[in-house]
Amino acid sequence: MSATADGAAGEPLLRTQELQKNFGGVKAVSEISFDVPMGAIFAVIGPNGAGKSTLINLISGVYRPDAGSLSFDGVDLSTMPAHLRVRFGIARTFQKIRLFRQLTALDNVIAGFHVHHKIPAWQYLVHGAAFTADRRRCRDQAMQLLEFVGMSGRAHVPAGSLSYGEQRMLELARALATKPRLLLIDEPAAGLNAAEVDGLLDRIRSLRHGGTTVILVEHNMDLVMNVADRIMVMEYGRRLFEGTPAEVQKNPAVIAAYLGGELL
Amino acid sequence: MTTTIVLQQAINGIVLGSLYVLVALGLTLIYGVLVQINFAHADFVTLGAFAAYFFMHLVGLGYIPSIAVALIVGAAMGWLINASIFTPLRRKNNELLPLIATIGVSVMMQNLMLAWFGPIPYAFETEFSRHVIRFAGIFVSWQNVIIIVVSALTIALLYVFMKFTFLGKALRAVSQDRETAGLMGINPNFLIMLTFVIASALAGMGGAMLAPVLVLTPFAGTSVIVKAFAIVIIGGFGNVEGTILAGLIVGLIESYTTQFLNPGLIDIVVFALLLLMLAIRPTGLISERREENV
Amino acid sequence: MSETVFAQQWLGKATSSRARFLGYLTAVAVIVTLPLVFNDTYWRTNLTVCAINVLLAIGLDFILGYAGQLNLGHSAFYGLGAYVSTLLIVKLAVPFWLAFVAGVAFAGLAGTFLSLFAVRLRGHYLAIASLGFAVIVHQILLNWISLTQGPLGIYGIAPPPALVVDGTVIADFRNLTAFFYLVAGFALLSFLLLSQLVRSPVGETLTAIREDEVSAASLGINAAAWKVFAFGVGSAIAGAAGCFYASFVGTLVPDAFFITEAFNILAMVIVGGMGTLIGPVFGAVLLTILPEVLRGLGDLRLVVYGAALTFVVLFIPGGMAQAANAVGERLWRRRSA
Repeated sequence: MSATADGAAGEPLLRTQELQKNFGGVKAVSEISFDVPMGAIFAVIGPNGAGKSTLINLISGVYRPDAGSLSFDGVDLSTMPAHLRVRFGIARTFQKIRLFRQLTALDNVIAGFHVHHKIPAWQYLVHGAAFTADRRRCRDQAMQLLEFVGMSGRAHVPAGSLSYGEQRMLELARALATKPRLLLIDEPAAGLNAAEVDGLLDRIRSLRHGGTTVILVEHNMDLVMNVADRIMVMEYGRRLFEGTPAEVQKNPAVIAAYLGGELL
Repeated sequence: MTTTIVLQQAINGIVLGSLYVLVALGLTLIYGVLVQINFAHADFVTLGAFAAYFFMHLVGLGYIPSIAVALIVGAAMGWLINASIFTPLRRKNNELLPLIATIGVSVMMQNLMLAWFGPIPYAFETEFSRHVIRFAGIFVSWQNVIIIVVSALTIALLYVFMKFTFLGKALRAVSQDRETAGLMGINPNFLIMLTFVIASALAGMGGAMLAPVLVLTPFAGTSVIVKAFAIVIIGGFGNVEGTILAGLIVGLIESYTTQFLNPGLIDIVVFALLLLMLAIRPTGLISERREENV
Repeated sequence: MSETVFAQQWLGKATSSRARFLGYLTAVAVIVTLPLVFNDTYWRTNLTVCAINVLLAIGLDFILGYAGQLNLGHSAFYGLGAYVSTLLIVKLAVPFWLAFVAGVAFAGLAGTFLSLFAVRLRGHYLAIASLGFAVIVHQILLNWISLTQGPLGIYGIAPPPALVVDGTVIADFRNLTAFFYLVAGFALLSFLLLSQLVRSPVGETLTAIREDEVSAASLGINAAAWKVFAFGVGSAIAGAAGCFYASFVGTLVPDAFFITEAFNILAMVIVGGMGTLIGPVFGAVLLTILPEVLRGLGDLRLVVYGAALTFVVLFIPGGMAQAANAVGERLWRRRSA
């Protein structure tokens, strides 16, 4: 069993037990158990190939686990398809950016409202008052989200034409449109400059204040140290250590791995 | 009596099957290297058949040289379609655009041939068609002997080329991993061009040999391409061994369906097999599953 | 293909509801006037063929341009609609409009069946599966002689019954103009409903699936269900086109639904501009009329389909919609400069 949450945050929102995923004989994720407390910022770090992204894919439902289980707010997710998990409040971004490149930034975010439309079926064919209200609401909220990620000026630019940093931010806004309780962020800082990273960290913190639980996967340890409540270190698909940032910094196994040079 | 028929149809099936293999191998080679489909591939078959026909009738050097002419015509078409369609579209990095563009090329080629050669089927008789070997109640024309020998030789040659020559190894490297080929010091664009030329030469040559078996009209390509698709899917796209096996199976299905059921059912049987295959095992007879990398 | 986006915006979303209303009014006016301008049998026949092709093109565009599923077997749904409705009328004496509904439903069901492949297969594999499906349907029509009379075909299919209100004949569909109004009206209605649909969240949902299925799933989109939906709708529209075709031409032969017909429909969608609804309408009209205008060239005129398809993919992948957009934008810039 995993270490219990450290008091402050309360009941676990996500619990994984002995989670396992193999790719042709390679154990990408092996016997991973951990709890993510509600309202926490939970970071997963480790070198490339440690299984961090596979873990995100297991939680978001892109992959099914070969063994083990995961539950979200008491609901078993193990066999639930990815699109249904969104309705329970799980959203994600992708390590390799996957925007709808031909759609504008605004339309990317609006697509994120898929599970939140309130339109009677017949109004899809004959647009009435409820339809118009829903469209206006989606548009306004999408603009707010773009503003939140600092992109309100780029709303009408096709996603494919945005800069790399903007695309990362747009993915974040799109994921937030689903109104998640748990947000999975996969290597958000990759390819960002220092200023952009700072802006990103501020936004992650303000999300937590808004009540969103965050799982942050990162390659770069320094980045997560001052934002995460708990950190899980992964290596070769296994859990190397889990604890508070202070504990992680003091742990000999983690230090050894660091001195090995790979985690930098 | 029945055994003779079964044997006779087995031979007919193998003749047909080895020709389908020639055509389908081209599609599979291109798919292996580029992950693209040339829909006009079978129209190169038709063009090869017409080239052989007119060379034989106008120049009169006999059937074997006309196969070589068809091969050259096919190779030229391969170079042309790569240069005009696939190279310009490569930077768009879209898997469906080249397929759609080559459907256009196919429609163009068929109607150009229709305008030139007319809709009436050509009777493609060669000096070998009427010489028949009789053996234990089975008839084999010299024509069919030539088909089997030439296609078997070609397939063997291709196999040796792919397995043992430097270029062949480079080709296989590209089909497995685009970057390795660069490391081998070969321009990938050259390899892609070479693939098109080889694949289309096979199609042209297959045309010269299919022509006596087929109803030779400008639209002959359509019925060939749909079967070639069935073969590459059943064999597993990009898989050479699977394609050979599937080609022979389809040839046999065709000859046995003609004999024991009804020739009208051939396409239905072949495509029912295709859809079944796609439903249960989309990666082909001999292959492993891959999971998408996210 | 980012070009199509701009076309989509200019022609689709950015237009105000007043502009759209004016557009529909113009469309009605054009439909009403056309048979009065072209008053010979030959051109009136072509007008109806245009309207049938418009139906086929917008149906395929919904599957291909919006949901992004390369369906090379659209001719199958067209043929199934035609044969199912005709056989019900000829063999079982079912009333026309009931047979029409059955034909549409059957084509829709066939589309739903094919979509089950689309759920599992992607890109090239789906293209070939749909092609295989169309080949099988064509061969069945050709070989089930006891039912379809095979290559001999079915002759003497009656037009839809006259529309009679209180004993007065409103429209007699033996009349070419009335038939054109019927099909064009149906096409306009289908266009209107599809247009409403693609400007609703369904439009974003389908486009999201076209662009990236994994990403779409991460937003809660059930790609499988929406593909079934897109195929069902698109193929049902093709089924309607088939019912009209049979009763319009009066003769049914399997070769009318050979896979080359699917390529012609594909050409209409691509040339018009896939991913916009209005583009394929003009693509269908252009590719129906152009071969007629070029009749003097003999068989060479059919090269037009292939040449147009290849040329557009290579040079203007957004089709006529993209070209119109570029021209419109240039004019706009000149005016504001």
